[in-house]
Amino acid sequence: MNAIEVEGLSRTFNDLQAVDNISFTVEAGEIFGFLGHNGAGKTTTIRMLTGQLRPTAGLARVAGCDVATERHRLKPLVGVVSENQNLYERMSGRENLAFAARLYGTDSRRIDEALDQVGLLDRATDNAKHYSNGMKQRLLIARALLHRPRLLFLDEPTRGLDPMVGRDIRRLVKELSTRGVTVFLTTHYMEEADQLCGRVAFLSEGRIVALDTPDNLKVAHGQKSLNVILGDGTSLTIALDDEDAGKQLEKLVNAGQIRTLHSAEATLEEVFIQIAGRGLAE
Amino acid sequence: MNPRVVAALARKDIVDAIRNRYLLTALLTPLFVALLFRVLMPGVNSLNNLNVVVHDTGNSVLVAQLRNTPKLNLIASASAEAAANEVEKKKATGGLVVPVNFDADVAAGKEPELTIYVNSKKNIIEQATFRQLMERQVSSLVKQPVTARPVWIELGKEPGSQPGGRPDLNQTLLPLLLLLAFAMTGALVVPLLLVEEREQRTLDFLLTSPASLAEIVTGKALTGVVYSLLISGALLAINHKLISNWPLTLLTILLGLLFIVAIGLFTGSLFQNTMQVNTWASLVLLLLLIPGFPSPGGLPVAMEAALHLVPTYYFVEALKLLLAGMGSSRIGGHLAVLLACTAVAFSATIWRSRREQN
Repeated sequence: MNAIEVEGLSRTFNDLQAVDNISFTVEAGEIFGFLGHNGAGKTTTIRMLTGQLRPTAGLARVAGCDVATERHRLKPLVGVVSENQNLYERMSGRENLAFAARLYGTDSRRIDEALDQVGLLDRATDNAKHYSNGMKQRLLIARALLHRPRLLFLDEPTRGLDPMVGRDIRRLVKELSTRGVTVFLTTHYMEEADQLCGRVAFLSEGRIVALDTPDNLKVAHGQKSLNVILGDGTSLTIALDDEDAGKQLEKLVNAGQIRTLHSAEATLEEVFIQIAGRGLAE
Repeated sequence: MNPRVVAALARKDIVDAIRNRYLLTALLTPLFVALLFRVLMPGVNSLNNLNVVVHDTGNSVLVAQLRNTPKLNLIASASAEAAANEVEKKKATGGLVVPVNFDADVAAGKEPELTIYVNSKKNIIEQATFRQLMERQVSSLVKQPVTARPVWIELGKEPGSQPGGRPDLNQTLLPLLLLLAFAMTGALVVPLLLVEEREQRTLDFLLTSPASLAEIVTGKALTGVVYSLLISGALLAINHKLISNWPLTLLTILLGLLFIVAIGLFTGSLFQNTMQVNTWASLVLLLLLIPGFPSPGGLPVAMEAALHLVPTYYFVEALKLLLAGMGSSRIGGHLAVLLACTAVAFSATIWRSRREQN
């Protein structure tokens, strides 16, 4: 069953084509990565999929709801963590969640559960303005999870956070996925997408230029090569696509010059640069 | 429209504004000013000496009392007919014509007529002080429930100008203070509530929550209305003795505050950050307040006409008329204008917000 179905979705702002005819589906329980440069159209897409912005063209169904015509039915089914830390800073962590609970009509007993889930129960009465960036991010996630959404939109959830907090958040995202929550994730960190996402879509200038599992993308677009370190300490890279690669390698082996040999698999970031670069050049 | 969502939004803002020192100051300023005027009202007596023309052939106790009143110069007039002319000629604040058998009639409970002239060309504070002084003196004449029946005549009033009724300083101040309260709350606090959501990006959160844009705007309006009602309630409690027609006064106040809250929402929908609001809302606030300020000696005709273009003029005038004891027939037009302006301002806000969202 698909949690998200998008068909020919577009959005323009005056003359700017922010999102250009994109189509994709996300399965229920999947962690789906939506990757692209700044201004590629990631946040605009999220805003359309969460009912904040009307599409100019195309269709999108999220949790079975049409995003253009069924906003009221859609909103209680999704949780959104915005790229901005948009908390009420004069209010405590618990008050922020209490306000959200009143908006969603959620049982107030759920507030402490959500705070506990993100490890903020002991700081619940502190004003949000006194929280660190990591704590604010965790509170945002708690707020998004408060009403037990079926689908979670995370817009750059680990941006600017220290590695430990980033790791905690990634662990939480994985945990949510195992519980059947669908996660739509945008991030600048390709490694994070590689670790977390079942599939990723690359967005460039408002268009999807690639969509597949990270492994398939790396195989399909990555350069196949070997890193060779020679006995004298120098290193060289042998491109396996090269016609002479076999002969070159055989020569080195026969001469006993090879100290170590490593596969040089492309990273997701390299794949992205390759694809987006090609896309930009078109 | 979901009442739970609107109530949640308003509750959040009502509590949050108390924590925001800036907003709290804006909300409490009118109350502070009201209390300050209360404390300083006796200070009105520190005005320059008031000249009063008097015709009193019977040597009444009243005039004797007035002679002993500090800062009051009595100028004798030869006849009742001349008294009115002399008020204007001698630039006096007022005049007094006491009948021959005044003291005897008062003692007999006959409630004799006492003609009191007020010079409308004098500033409003002098006029009000003179009126208060005369009322106090007349009511303290004898220890009887019936004393004299004052007949007030305004001299030097421009043709076509509004009938003043019995405006005194309190009756001028109360509309001004209410206007100040509504302007601070509606025109300053309400747009800040809206713009702060935009500036802090919390509006994005609200728009992903079950709250619709209409509910968000209504929640802000409700916050403004609650604050305005609380402050106007306190102001009315302080000045409750001035009000005779409570239902119409409350209706006028409700329309006035709704109009200013609607203006605040519209202002808030136009701007993106607090600095813009502070700059522009101050101008709006000043414009809305202008009709509330007393105009010593009256305004030039052109300015008076320009004031009619400011909707709060109708609020102030309606309140002044009500406080002066005028009936609903005199204020119906004023309230209709206020209602129409409120509807226009709310419609403009909704139009603007929808346009922005799409």
